[in-house]
Amino acid sequence: MLPFTLQLQDGIPVSDQILAAVRKAMLTGQLRAGDEFPSVRTLSQELRISPTTAHKVVLALKDSGYLGSRPGIGMVVTAPAKASLTERLDQLAPTCRLLLAEAAELNLTFDEVVKALRRTESPAHELLKAAKPVR
Amino acid sequence: MITLDNLCKKFRKTEAVNGLSLHVPAGQVTAFLGPNGAGKSTTIKCLLGLHRPDSGSAEVLGCNSRRLGPAQFQHIGYVSENMELPLWMSVQQFLDYCRPLYPQWDATFERQMLQQFDLPLQTKLKDLSRGMRMKAALLSSLAYRPKLVVLDEPFSGLDPLVRDEFIRGLLELTEQEGWTVFVSSHDIEEVQRLADRIAIINSGKLALDETSESLQTRFRAIEVILPDDAKLPTQLPADWLHAEQAGRTLRFISSRYAEPESLAAAIRLVFPSTPHHEVRPMSLREIFIALARTYRLEGKAQP
Repeated sequence: MLPFTLQLQDGIPVSDQILAAVRKAMLTGQLRAGDEFPSVRTLSQELRISPTTAHKVVLALKDSGYLGSRPGIGMVVTAPAKASLTERLDQLAPTCRLLLAEAAELNLTFDEVVKALRRTESPAHELLKAAKPVR
Repeated sequence: MITLDNLCKKFRKTEAVNGLSLHVPAGQVTAFLGPNGAGKSTTIKCLLGLHRPDSGSAEVLGCNSRRLGPAQFQHIGYVSENMELPLWMSVQQFLDYCRPLYPQWDATFERQMLQQFDLPLQTKLKDLSRGMRMKAALLSSLAYRPKLVVLDEPFSGLDPLVRDEFIRGLLELTEQEGWTVFVSSHDIEEVQRLADRIAIINSGKLALDETSESLQTRFRAIEVILPDDAKLPTQLPADWLHAEQAGRTLRFISSRYAEPESLAAAIRLVFPSTPHHEVRPMSLREIFIALARTYRLEGKAQP
């Protein structure tokens, strides 16, 4: 079993889906810094993906600061240094584009979209409130 | 790991493999795809020395396929959909028979797979279900931890659970250094998550050899909502495959997608007043179907 939630979908590269799932698990607390992270082999077997893909994913997670290797244990989850505001906004950009496109198709105004966002019920509101603006 | 160079094999008047060149790199899963009758099995039999090529060559583990011997076969695992097994043997007898043939047979790995595959040791191979028999064949081909695993349509006729166990078993092997998997299939669905590389054979020739990643990067399904007066020009860009129009909607597959801007520019070039288009990534299965359609059309265009 994997310590994060992932339902593989068609059409999107597997590695992107795993990266997104791990980031999300970190945000929701499903994965915390210091937790053991599955090995390349476990990832590959659990998701039935090629070990080459699994290896790439682990490297990418290491590069972006989500994983570190600890001798004797293997991979552990690490909290990445806070990415810059620009980086984090970049990550949000595709979702924003989708939202805007969908809103435009439904003939909604920008203000209506913002209102709808505020009204949307989600536990994320608490986290958003708690987030500290960086510069 | 495998290098095919201009491989040709004819049966009477049928050109099963007709000038196939392909390189299968080590440390990856390469899926060898093509419709039934495209020449997949013949290619595999040639490269394992089970058929003698008419011309061209196949090199496996650095050895010409015509000269493969025990030294190479110790490092090659082969499972085929219609392989001949000693059906009169029980699973236990079959494994006892295989074990001494391979000096590096891993008894621990054998036990682990036996348990995982839930194989009944005392049952004769002929009394096993198809899925069970394939699992026994896989076990006997993996237990000596071969460097190269060649699978010929291993999943056809297997139920989803057995297929899943089969893939899991196969992936057990990749824990070791220097593994390579070459798996043929007529159905990409079976291998799409597993494959690092896709090689497609069509009418005995190589039609495509590319990494899954690169395929998924360059293929996109596009939907354009056309302005009222738009007419589909007779000549569309060559990389727009299978363009179809219904009412105001035009759908096509872009096979050279790079970034949103250049696609938008290309669409504007054809339809100067296009209000709207959508771009959607495609699964390997969709890409494979689009390619297979293209090959069929090309096949018909040639006399």
